[in-house]
Amino acid sequence: MAIYSVGRKRVILALLLTTALLLTLDLRGNPIIDAAREGFTQVMRPVQTATGVVTNPIERVWHGIINYDNVEQENIALQEQVDRLIGTQAAAEAAVIEGKELQALYSLPSLSGIDTEVARVVGRAANNFDQVIEINKGSSSGIEVGMAVVNQAGLVGKVTQVTRTSARVMLVTDLRYSVAVKVTSSADADADVPTNTSPSGLSESEIAAAGTTTTTSTTVPSLTGPIVPGLTLPDGSPVPDTTLPGTAVGPDGQPVIDPITGRPLTAEQITALLDALANAPSTTAAETTTADDATLAAESATTTTTTLAEIIEKEYGALEGRGRRRLPQIKFVQDSPSLSELVPGDLVETAGGSESLAPTGIPVGRVLNRADRPGSGGPLLDVELYADLARLNFVRVVLYKPLSEVDQ
Amino acid sequence: MFASFVQGPLVRVIPLGLILLALQRTLFVEIQVGGVIIQIMMAMAAAAGVAGGSERGAVVGFTLGLMFDLAEGTPLGSTATAMTIAGAVGGLLALIAADPHWWLEAIFTALGTAAGVAMIPLLRAFIGESEPFQRELGVVLAVVAAAAALMSPLLVPLARWCLRIRRPEWKQPVGSEPTS
Repeated sequence: MAIYSVGRKRVILALLLTTALLLTLDLRGNPIIDAAREGFTQVMRPVQTATGVVTNPIERVWHGIINYDNVEQENIALQEQVDRLIGTQAAAEAAVIEGKELQALYSLPSLSGIDTEVARVVGRAANNFDQVIEINKGSSSGIEVGMAVVNQAGLVGKVTQVTRTSARVMLVTDLRYSVAVKVTSSADADADVPTNTSPSGLSESEIAAAGTTTTTSTTVPSLTGPIVPGLTLPDGSPVPDTTLPGTAVGPDGQPVIDPITGRPLTAEQITALLDALANAPSTTAAETTTADDATLAAESATTTTTTLAEIIEKEYGALEGRGRRRLPQIKFVQDSPSLSELVPGDLVETAGGSESLAPTGIPVGRVLNRADRPGSGGPLLDVELYADLARLNFVRVVLYKPLSEVDQ
Repeated sequence: MFASFVQGPLVRVIPLGLILLALQRTLFVEIQVGGVIIQIMMAMAAAAGVAGGSERGAVVGFTLGLMFDLAEGTPLGSTATAMTIAGAVGGLLALIAADPHWWLEAIFTALGTAAGVAMIPLLRAFIGESEPFQRELGVVLAVVAAAAALMSPLLVPLARWCLRIRRPEWKQPVGSEPTS
């Protein structure tokens, strides 16, 4: 039975004062504490690895019980999404190549010139307050505090702590996260992306009258790219070495590569590919139950039209995380009547700037809701992120330093 | 000094803390209840308070909290403060009953854990974080406290082992049986 006394009270007070002292030292930056942290991480690593191996079956059973229905529904949704994406892939490829040419023509800053480092996510925050992940690359790979972290979909967060072999990444949803962003119009872009291809010359009724069933799938040349050395997916397949989201490259995130030679295409070859895409879309597969003339005519007459959307930069603001389960929000924005109103569906990407730690043009997400505030506060915009932060396996650290730090 | 260290609680608390920390960072990150991560280390600190009193609970909480801060990269001392308070609160609550039943221990452990978790946003507000209080704090406290209560039948004996405490063998005096 514990007995309360003044002596005990002193011990507790002494411990609390010690924690306050440690807290002060750590927040001011102390090399001894940093060294202790790195040393403890090294000690902890084998214990954590062993525990992970032992508890892995328990985790799988848990996920099997809890998440089975969700996974099944998600599979169906993903299959629909894949089908839809296949339909728009050819158009996207043409637009991307054209965008790359335009960027080169006008010497615009491009994300493709920035080096990146692929890393595997090895841990998550073990408390209920931080939105932090741990990656398996650190200062030995050129990673520094402040660098932006992305995945295939878009912005994920920024590096906040670095050791030699690991780093911590604060996610966009963390309460302490903030980054400068710009809001651009997307209404035209949505309208210009073709969601299906239509046969010209023959109507659907004419095809139906011919008594045939035609299923046409549009495919693009298989663009094989490099892989990340030393990393494999859970199924053993290699991890594709992809570039930044939003980079003016092929639809798989790679520079456009000749499928036959495996080498990057030259400007002339790209132009030729553009011509080929414009004149004869890459309709390669067709399943025809009865191959008659009408079906063949419909197949050969399929056209895909691509029009580049006009992007309107509406407003610049600050994107701030709001914690788990809550969408990040953009503050400090105002409607610009001369341009257009900020509306749900607008695109959000990093704004860049001489002091920003994230380069310009990294896709962040889409405006989901708009909440108007009284007074001069301006509206608040909820942003639905492109990146699924709950399922991060591989991320890419953008080895970018703002111009203000490059000279230092 | 060496002898006192070997005979003291830390020689058992540190290895146990390593294992609990590994569990916290692997198993309990995956097994979430309603999106809330169960805090086994905080529960252990509170259980140590229930088993050994507020002083020893605070020492165990301080040790586990420092380990957590070192591994998690949170400001050193922030979680340690919260776990120290969890241990102290668990110990103070245990003063209520001389030889508490298991369910009383579970309640004390739950309350101590909740007190510790509630301290974290408060501490973060002190160190300058803007808006550290989440809307879901109530849910987090409820889930973490409930989980701590469920784990207390395991954690309290573990804390007794760590602190080298033997459960008192109370015997009812002869002839004092309740009369009906």
